[in-house]
Amino acid sequence: MQPSRSIKRQAAFHMLASEFSDSTLNEKGSGEFDPSFVITKLGSKVNRVIVAGLLERLEPRETSNGSTLYQGQIRDPSGVYYFSVGDYASDTMRELALELSARVEGGEPILMLMTAKSRLFQTEEGAIYTSLRPEEACEIDSNAYAVWLTKACNDTLERMKNFTDSLDHEPTIESLTKAGIPSNMVNGLVASRNHYGDIDLEHYNLNIMQSLDIAEGKIEAATTPPQQPLTPIEDGEKAESVVNDEDELSEILLELVKKLDQGDGVDFETLITNASARGYERSMTEEKIESLSDEGSIHEPAFGWFRIVS
Amino acid sequence: MSDDKYEQHINAVLSECPEASREEVKAAFEKYESEFYIPPQDALRSIIRRFKGEMNPISTTSNSLNQTPKVSKKVASLTELTATDRDIEIEVEIISHNLREQTIRGEQKQIAFGLLEDNPWGDGGQRNRWEFKDWGPNSNIVPGSVVRIEGASVNEYQGRMSLNINQTTRISILREGTRPVIAPGEPIGINNLPKDGYVCVLGRVLSVRPDQIHKKDGSGSIDVVRGRIADESGTIGFLSWEPFGHEVGSLVKIDGAQVRTFRETPELNFGKTTKVELYHDSNFADTDSLMQNNVLTISQLSDGSRDVETVVQITEWAKRSFVRDGEEKFLWSGQIADLTGKCRMSAWEELPIKESELPITVKLKGVRVRSWQGIPDITVDNSGQVEILDSTPWDDSIDLSTHVIEVPLTELVNGSSRVGISTEGIVASVRDDCGIIMRCTQCRRVLRDGSCNEHGDDEGNQDVRLRVVIDDGVSTSSLLINKEASLNLLNISEDDLKSQIKSNGQVEFVQSLRSKLLGKLLSAHGRTIVDEQGMMLLADKIELVVQDPALIATELRTKWGVM
Repeated sequence: MQPSRSIKRQAAFHMLASEFSDSTLNEKGSGEFDPSFVITKLGSKVNRVIVAGLLERLEPRETSNGSTLYQGQIRDPSGVYYFSVGDYASDTMRELALELSARVEGGEPILMLMTAKSRLFQTEEGAIYTSLRPEEACEIDSNAYAVWLTKACNDTLERMKNFTDSLDHEPTIESLTKAGIPSNMVNGLVASRNHYGDIDLEHYNLNIMQSLDIAEGKIEAATTPPQQPLTPIEDGEKAESVVNDEDELSEILLELVKKLDQGDGVDFETLITNASARGYERSMTEEKIESLSDEGSIHEPAFGWFRIVS
Repeated sequence: MSDDKYEQHINAVLSECPEASREEVKAAFEKYESEFYIPPQDALRSIIRRFKGEMNPISTTSNSLNQTPKVSKKVASLTELTATDRDIEIEVEIISHNLREQTIRGEQKQIAFGLLEDNPWGDGGQRNRWEFKDWGPNSNIVPGSVVRIEGASVNEYQGRMSLNINQTTRISILREGTRPVIAPGEPIGINNLPKDGYVCVLGRVLSVRPDQIHKKDGSGSIDVVRGRIADESGTIGFLSWEPFGHEVGSLVKIDGAQVRTFRETPELNFGKTTKVELYHDSNFADTDSLMQNNVLTISQLSDGSRDVETVVQITEWAKRSFVRDGEEKFLWSGQIADLTGKCRMSAWEELPIKESELPITVKLKGVRVRSWQGIPDITVDNSGQVEILDSTPWDDSIDLSTHVIEVPLTELVNGSSRVGISTEGIVASVRDDCGIIMRCTQCRRVLRDGSCNEHGDDEGNQDVRLRVVIDDGVSTSSLLINKEASLNLLNISEDDLKSQIKSNGQVEFVQSLRSKLLGKLLSAHGRTIVDEQGMMLLADKIELVVQDPALIATELRTKWGVM
């Protein structure tokens, strides 16, 4: 008998921003109504998420066809989720976006929780971005946020365990099923293992520790926006530390390219995410990759893919 | 964009197939990756196989009559094929694949037959199903896998079209099968039987009885044998179209039985090609212990089951009468329960049960199960099927009328409909139509713009209802909360709710509900309806589960060793 063809609602993942935004793989059936999925490094096959965090930005933007698109980002201890609310969103969601954007503009800290559909897209240059399309959202208090954090941590830990368990087996559906990996994770893990190759779980561990600290009330990070040194550094003292940072960053990048190269080089986004996991801003890493490329330490055999010059 | 991306893999192909064109190999890799999301390392094998095949064309012998040059006909759908087509190429999903020994020209040969479907990638689209014969048999043909078949031919027999897969046909796997492969002659546990296909089963006969099937057109009836067999994993009913000479208690090996699913219940069918033989294994469970397994609980009842044995407690019982063909007839029905749930029971004969003596525990044997609105209803055809017990097999201090069974959400979603359960899930959606609704005065359907789908315009009765979705990360269920539970949850009276919605608006009300519920853990008690659309839980009790994040965080640290 054929598996039922009626389209059932996809279950939602509780997931920290870092796991989601590290993703560079998606999957979509060819039928018109087939669900699409973003596949994370930990093998989550994500169609829908429940996420929460500090609403950091929410701005209306006029699109070329004259409608308004709200673009925003929410931050949890591990990073940022980008989302947009467009014409396709429900009226309630659009009304909420309108109301919240005014309050964010006014500098009010807002914790929110949303259920959202996952999206992954690639620009013409080949860079891959993830984002969310909220379905429903609401403001929450810090207690609800803390509960969400614990749930996201628990589920991430479970996924990390499944991922680690899967490493002893061939990445095929058959062998992972036999190895006792939960059936809802098998497909995603096979895809993830084949796409991402070796991955480093360490930064997920760090994210979890931070999140649990917040849930236990040890840090007051929940409602204060983290400092973002987005503005160019001006005073001399800081500039010096930046120079040191830069040297360190070169070394880290070279190390990364060496370690992650599986024969085809390492792609741009992987470098950015890995560097940011070590605390380096995207803009800085981008610049550094360029300068390393200019000075001839690394070369770019294919657009967006880097290798060590040997 | 980048030639180098596939460089390594292209070289690997070229070293295997030196005559292949670099451009074509590259195009193949791109196609795999962009159309099927199959990365080059996975596509490698299929591509090598394909180019190898192309480079060493299997000499088109035996086709000497065919003067036209061989051009393979590539089609997307089986409907594009005609009976005379040879050497066709199509992508299909293998539905079933059964091996069979056959004597061909005096030689024992293994061949295979099965079902395949076209349009394997289009979920939800129209699929055509054909039979195929595999003369190979080809080891790449595995149930559940999606394959490209190159070089098969069409066969037409008595107006039915099928595909012939020859030894020279190329089969490339495009997506691995997820279903278990069942080798012939290798018995599988009764609990693990597929929903259809040919199987081999080793089991003990628990019951046998002759039966007759009356043809619908009234042209007569066929003698059949019905019964039940069991192994340690479970039991299953069977229907034999051939004489069945084995007695209750015999251990038999049945090869080539066909599984068919009637309503929700699978059944084994024995026909001409089925081999039933006595089997000897002194370690196989004896009849008595298998009979024990055959006793089902209410949670295990499925629509269409026959020959069911169960022990239940009757909690309500009443006589009803109805008129059929001008004659008054009687039917007894009521509520029953066991430790796993509640359901209904109906009897066509009077049972020695007095309302004043309820609850009464009974053992039922050989009864049937029908489902009505998803709730199982045990049908008792004669009073001989009912034996009244003196005591319950479970702790009789448990009051089944208030006993609540907690079941994980995913288990409910994957089971059949149940009554008297409670479960937990996180609220993943709060629907916009929560709140005050109007129901049709005749059928209780929700009115849309003052009009019932069935009965037209209606003034309606006011009701309160919340509609949300709960989710446990694996499965989801629609949750409908009745008036009493809704008002309790919101801690408000119906009138206050009405005036609140009136003054603030429906949108504001639903948004306030989201602040209260979205992302929260909810415990719901009630009954479930499970069908092709998924699950619906009709709740009469609802509770927000209070969670202490600091406590959970500390527990998580201990559980996972995160310090």
